[in-house]
Amino acid sequence: MIKFFGEFFVNAAFLTSILAAIGYFVYSQREEKRYLKVSNWLFGIQGLFLLVASGLLLYIILTHQFNFYYVYNYTSSDLQLRYLISAFWGGQEGSFMLWILFSIFIGFGLMKWAREPYRGPVLFFLTLTQVFLFSMIAGIPFGDFTLGASPFRTLAEAMPNAPFLQSNPDFVPQDGKGLNDLLKSPWMMIHPPILFVGFAMMTVPYCFAMAALWKRKYNEWVGPALPWTLGANVALLTAIFLGGYWAYVTLSFGGYWAWDPVENASFVPWLLGTAGIHTMIIQRKSSTSQKASIVFAILAYVAIVYETFLTRSGVLSDSSVHSFVDLGLYNQLVVFMAAVTFIGLGLFIYRYKELPKQEKESKLLSREFMTFAGAMMLFLIGLVIILGTSSPIIGRLFVDNPTPPEVSFYNDWTMPMAMIAAIMTVLGQYLFWKRQDGESLAHDLTLPVALTCVVTLVSIFMGEVRNLYYMLFLLTAWFAVIGNVIIMIRLARKKPMLIGGTLSHVGFGVLLLGILASSAYNANLLDDATKRYNAAIKNGEITDEQGFRKTQTVDFLELELNEPKVINDKYRVTYEGYTLKNQERPGQQEYKIKFEPAGGEGQQFTLNPQVYPMLSSSTAQEIQWSVDPDVRSGLFSDIYLYVSGSSFVERKNEQAKQQGNNTASASGGMEDSVAVQKIKLERGDSTSVGPFDIVLRDYRQVEDQQLQDSTVVAVRAYIDIAQRGSDNSRVIDPLYSIYVENGQNWSYAPPQQIPEYNGTVQFSSIDPTTGEVELTFRGVKEEVEEEWVLLVAEEKPFISIVWFGTFLLMGGFSISIFRHWDRERKKS
Amino acid sequence: MKPKLILGIIAIVGFTSLLMYNFGNSISTYVNFEQAVEMNNAHVVGSWDDSKDYGFSMESKQFSFYMEDEDGNIRRVVYPKAKPNNFEEADQLVVIGEMQGEVFYADEMLMKCPSKYNNADEAEFEKAMPANS
Repeated sequence: MIKFFGEFFVNAAFLTSILAAIGYFVYSQREEKRYLKVSNWLFGIQGLFLLVASGLLLYIILTHQFNFYYVYNYTSSDLQLRYLISAFWGGQEGSFMLWILFSIFIGFGLMKWAREPYRGPVLFFLTLTQVFLFSMIAGIPFGDFTLGASPFRTLAEAMPNAPFLQSNPDFVPQDGKGLNDLLKSPWMMIHPPILFVGFAMMTVPYCFAMAALWKRKYNEWVGPALPWTLGANVALLTAIFLGGYWAYVTLSFGGYWAWDPVENASFVPWLLGTAGIHTMIIQRKSSTSQKASIVFAILAYVAIVYETFLTRSGVLSDSSVHSFVDLGLYNQLVVFMAAVTFIGLGLFIYRYKELPKQEKESKLLSREFMTFAGAMMLFLIGLVIILGTSSPIIGRLFVDNPTPPEVSFYNDWTMPMAMIAAIMTVLGQYLFWKRQDGESLAHDLTLPVALTCVVTLVSIFMGEVRNLYYMLFLLTAWFAVIGNVIIMIRLARKKPMLIGGTLSHVGFGVLLLGILASSAYNANLLDDATKRYNAAIKNGEITDEQGFRKTQTVDFLELELNEPKVINDKYRVTYEGYTLKNQERPGQQEYKIKFEPAGGEGQQFTLNPQVYPMLSSSTAQEIQWSVDPDVRSGLFSDIYLYVSGSSFVERKNEQAKQQGNNTASASGGMEDSVAVQKIKLERGDSTSVGPFDIVLRDYRQVEDQQLQDSTVVAVRAYIDIAQRGSDNSRVIDPLYSIYVENGQNWSYAPPQQIPEYNGTVQFSSIDPTTGEVELTFRGVKEEVEEEWVLLVAEEKPFISIVWFGTFLLMGGFSISIFRHWDRERKKS
Repeated sequence: MKPKLILGIIAIVGFTSLLMYNFGNSISTYVNFEQAVEMNNAHVVGSWDDSKDYGFSMESKQFSFYMEDEDGNIRRVVYPKAKPNNFEEADQLVVIGEMQGEVFYADEMLMKCPSKYNNADEAEFEKAMPANS
């Protein structure tokens, strides 16, 4: 039933969206109010249908109906409520629904706020994009071809080739595959929705640009479009930031940015949207750049669709760290992309002759020229990134089976352009607020240039920068920061709401500083012995077991329990053991890594990286571990580390393997190999056996009801037993008793199992004269095992500056939204 | 007007050709182990040969395994980091690095995990039971 209703409502919404689009089209042509009314109603009904369908999808997820492919594939019955809810957008089908859902809310906003003559066309194009998005989840079969992948399709429909389904089509799995452990993070809950808000909002400038072309009103559209574009920009930026932060603090990617296609997919639309914002601002002020504003508004949305195509069609599956599932939407996505592009650019070319021409050239030193040039710079950066991301397609021009470009391709191109852009932000701002000629500009720039030089020199000396390119980079970044701060202060004195633009530009400069500092000065934390070893590798002195020269340095930090190592002459680092945290994820260990200043002065702190088994993909013989890094964020530098191996994990793996072998070979000869160790302890003594630390807390006589009547004496020992390094100690209380039978004394001392371990402890005897207790361990390795942890630890300077720059950008754009929104509201 | 236009065209053509030239150089094609011998930064596609030894060595702090490329060449691959998550699950591996003798030294490794869509594997349904309805 739910399947029927789910698909019914999705397709009913699909159909209504088509009808609404037609209605809006007719309204735009004829401009009769009733068509608008009907279309608005259809649009609303579409939203209602989609809301019901979303409710149903959420319902089948929350009620664990694993006969649905979507529910089976992304959830499991043990998933916490919040991740069940986020499973709604955990898969492609649901995320398309979320995208449309946001788009519908935006539609309601546009009904209210978009004024004539734009209202009809704007709503038409918005609905048109929804029609395309609906087609991705419609799930209507046409012969062999299915239009879209329905979130309500059953397992049997999704996997027709699975043999067990062929024999029994009503087969329902008892549990789902679960959410990938890496996605079990609060970031997963907020990052995708914000991204889709950005995607949905970026449709609006596209719609307005198309409306402007349609209605031949090329100037006024930027007013209402600007706040929406700024909103899309802030949403995308927030999503990018959250994604970067997520990658950094929980995914052990080691950084916040890697030029991965998925990252680029949200960055390029942001760049093009920002380029559009620049030209729109210019167009609003001085009625130039109309063409550029329209083109950027179109391209920003095309970029969203194109990057959606790249990430969802499966073409990038070889080149990205993200895994992509090909839902068979390739052709549909191509059609979507082609339609958006051809309709957009087609209409633009069709109207090209009519578009207002600029009467006279802008001078080089004018705000029009400088802002336009800034927009072009952003556009070019976007172009370079699109080119790199498209390597599986465009790369075929060069080679047969192209690989993604090296990371240096992105860095080598975008960084110099960012440097030019940094300089232009200052020039642009000085020209924006005041008409200037060369002389007055030079005069105004004296102060920022002088300050920049001083600050740059200081940072070159302090940071020991030797690289000329970095020096130049620093100079431009500081120039952007200082130049814009000076203007910002002046504007803030006049009218604080004006500072949006300058604040964003300051943020951009700060971001550049952060990017340089955090990427160029990233250092592995290593002890001296490893450093010497690495130096020897670099000199070619080390050969591996096969006689080849080792070229790859060792970047691990190995620590033994409670044996501190000094790293980078700065910290004394000690591995202080681990805690088992079964309540969060079964089998999760939290490690304690203490950092003390090597010199003795300063603060000490502890980092707690975690390791946990990925239950969804582990088997009894083979445990797959995942890690959760820990980061100590500081003002000047972060310490970032994760565990890449430990004695605990090693032991668990061995046990798992052994258990696998045991069940396979029905466990023969186990008894022979059991090591038997006898240990004598007094009250309060502690010792180590195999991997365990043992403390004999006490032993005392007990009177137990369950003991035989003939028992003469019964003593229980109370032993704290803990795996070495772990502070989760357990108490076990083995019994030693003497009873009389047939006139003879017998001792009764049952061996007691060590919790979660195969071995046993037996209270084997007691010496009344010395008070010593003898414990017999069976099945525990004889030699005392070393406890160690292998870490990847890095010092990452000035990551905080990257975040700070991003926040400034967000703040600047947000202030601009309020300013432009306020002005638009006052107009009506 | 005219000289400006010409200058603009030269700039655009120059920028684009430089960009494309650089782009062409920074991508390469996926190769097999034999072709990788002469390359610095080779991308080799293949699959993990699970019949041979693999694992992380505490002494050399390296993860090593044997990989079979698409043309059937089997080589040892050394990766100077810990074993990546879902290594065993991957049905295809891409290793990026260089050959030295018979050993491939990977600086980076990408795992392509099996598509969940079409190749449903019965083993995934261990816990599954037929429904009663």
